[in-house]
Amino acid sequence: MKTLLTISWRNIWRHPARSSVLLAAIIAGLWAGVVTVGIINGLMQQRIDYMIESEITHAQIHHPDFLAEGYSWLYIPNHDEITNWLENDERVTSYTSRTITDGMVQSPIKTSGVRIRGINIESEIRTTNFHENIVEGEYLDSDIRNAVIIGQKLAKDHNVEVGNRIVLTFEDTGNELTSGSFNIAGIFRSASTDYDERNVFIRSNEFIALLGDEKVYHEIGIMLADEELAGPVVDELNKAFTGIHAQTWRQLSPELSMLVELGGYMVILITMIIMIALAFGILNTMLMALFERMREIGMLLSIGMSRLRVFNMIMLESIILTITGATVGIVLATLSINYFSDAGINLEMFAEGAAQLGWDHIIYPVLSSTEYIIILAVVVIITLLASVYPAIKGIRINPLEAAKDG
Amino acid sequence: MAIVRTEKLSKVYNPDTVPVHALRDVSIEINEGEFTAVRGPSGSGKTTLLNMIGGLDKPTSGNVFINGQEISKMKDSKRIDFRLQNIGFVFQHYNLIPVFTARENVSFIMLLQKRDKKEIRQRADELLDQVGLGERKDARPVQLSGGQQQRVAVARALASEPKFILADEPTANLDTESAMNLLDIMEKMNREQNVTFVFSTHDQRVIDRAYRVITMVDGAIHKDEIKSPLEGRGVS
Ligand SMILES: Nc1ncnc2c1ncn2[C@@H]1O[C@H](COP(=O)(O)OP(=O)(O)OP(=O)(O)O)[C@@H](O)[C@H]1O
Ligand SMILES: [Mg+2]
Repeated sequence: MKTLLTISWRNIWRHPARSSVLLAAIIAGLWAGVVTVGIINGLMQQRIDYMIESEITHAQIHHPDFLAEGYSWLYIPNHDEITNWLENDERVTSYTSRTITDGMVQSPIKTSGVRIRGINIESEIRTTNFHENIVEGEYLDSDIRNAVIIGQKLAKDHNVEVGNRIVLTFEDTGNELTSGSFNIAGIFRSASTDYDERNVFIRSNEFIALLGDEKVYHEIGIMLADEELAGPVVDELNKAFTGIHAQTWRQLSPELSMLVELGGYMVILITMIIMIALAFGILNTMLMALFERMREIGMLLSIGMSRLRVFNMIMLESIILTITGATVGIVLATLSINYFSDAGINLEMFAEGAAQLGWDHIIYPVLSSTEYIIILAVVVIITLLASVYPAIKGIRINPLEAAKDG
Repeated sequence: MAIVRTEKLSKVYNPDTVPVHALRDVSIEINEGEFTAVRGPSGSGKTTLLNMIGGLDKPTSGNVFINGQEISKMKDSKRIDFRLQNIGFVFQHYNLIPVFTARENVSFIMLLQKRDKKEIRQRADELLDQVGLGERKDARPVQLSGGQQQRVAVARALASEPKFILADEPTANLDTESAMNLLDIMEKMNREQNVTFVFSTHDQRVIDRAYRVITMVDGAIHKDEIKSPLEGRGVS
């Protein structure tokens, strides 16, 4: 009814300050919800992308027992057939084979356990961007013979630097203890200090020469055209080849999948906090508006306005405010997300610790259209739910309110 | 047939705690065209009686018939609609929708009755002219004096073409001049259009203008006088 709309509209402007505050709350709630979810998503996504692109890749293949035990004789039995398969699958954008064994690193001052990773520089660079983690010296593409790159943490623990020598000791494929002397060509820093302490990189051909007569590989890292393809590709590989175990990044890094889950909970938690605050704000404002108008509503009921219409009149006010607030809020939020997804949000001042742990301090928020819709729907539903109570109180008003003396 | 008829109407407030017998066995009839004042000391039950007749509150016992229909037993929603179609109200204050102009306030009740839009506008204008507010049709209540607001309320009450108009102390907040002016308008409507009015008042000058005066004391009718003959005013 047009008249109800008119009353509601004018009632909103009866207290411009109050309505504006409510409107601002809806806008701010929506904006904060969207931006927060965007930042959390962005943070998660960046972390995941970083881990995938620098190290884990979308999928990996190992000997079924290798990851748990790390022995050099647990290599991939049918390596060449598998790489042939990968070569011919168009979902695979690149792959790289790694020769890996657990062993010891020895410096003049101490000895510690590490995983020694022999990489093929050419295919590694095509597949991951781990080489970008070099903070000192060179990557393994240097001319230095028997080059090794080690993590910053390890270098510090052993008090060694670029140009120093270290000795790597490990068991070869024949179960014999072997060692070699390596020259530190470069120092890297990855996302995790733990990783930096426990991994060293050498060239796979030099590694293979020390391990035995055969070319052995313990890991194949695979990048795919899309992260979603990891599941199916892994399934097919496991079906096609025996004696190997292919896994997706989610399976390989429980830490990452937990992060994804945690991110989901954070999103829910934060949206809930914002929404509860919003709901109370609206409830309070609408109740105030109602108590002020008890007599007026009593009068309307007395002269013959139905309770349904009174309910609609009160609800219409909230609906108008909600629609206005939600529209403005979603537009502002979209603009902000669009802007920040290009420019990034610099969280440096809040995130010194996070940067130490290898988290980016520039966040590029990400939000899917489904998430926009969900947040919008939640704000709209919460706002309307919070208005139902005052509206129900409104229709319970006694018409005698109008007839009261004084 | 009487427009309003009450039978042994009683109202007890707070029956369980401190019972207040606001009305005791009140039986009255109000006929079409009457211009009736209800008087009595404060607390004598005037407002209570008017609220019962207007279907705003339910009696503890007894019946209220409006045009032969028992309204005190009606369901709430039906009673609201009955009020809309049959009874006009003028309250002491808080009569008008503050965000509406005088014209919109008068039109509103007709919109609730779902009347024709064009007819509504025309009738609202006519009524505002009748109550002497032809120039202030677009003013909002805050821009009007107390007396003017009450006149808008009278116009609004009449707009719905009710069987009768109830007014509980319509002049209580007005200065003498505005009060007399409001009475002039009500009386003129009564005289020229045979509109039935029932109003309560403390004011002797207002009582003097009434044709019938019901005096209440302690919740009961103490006196019911026809002060001037009603012949020639369409009432037998
Ligand atoms: N809601 C209520 N609850 C309890 N008692 C009430 C209520 N309304 C009225 N009363 C009591 O009922 C009696 C009649 O009140 P009512 O308001 O009808 O008197 P009145 O004649 O209109 O008085 P006034 O001239 O002051 O307006 C009074 O004793 C009053 O205190
Ligand atoms: Mg009273």
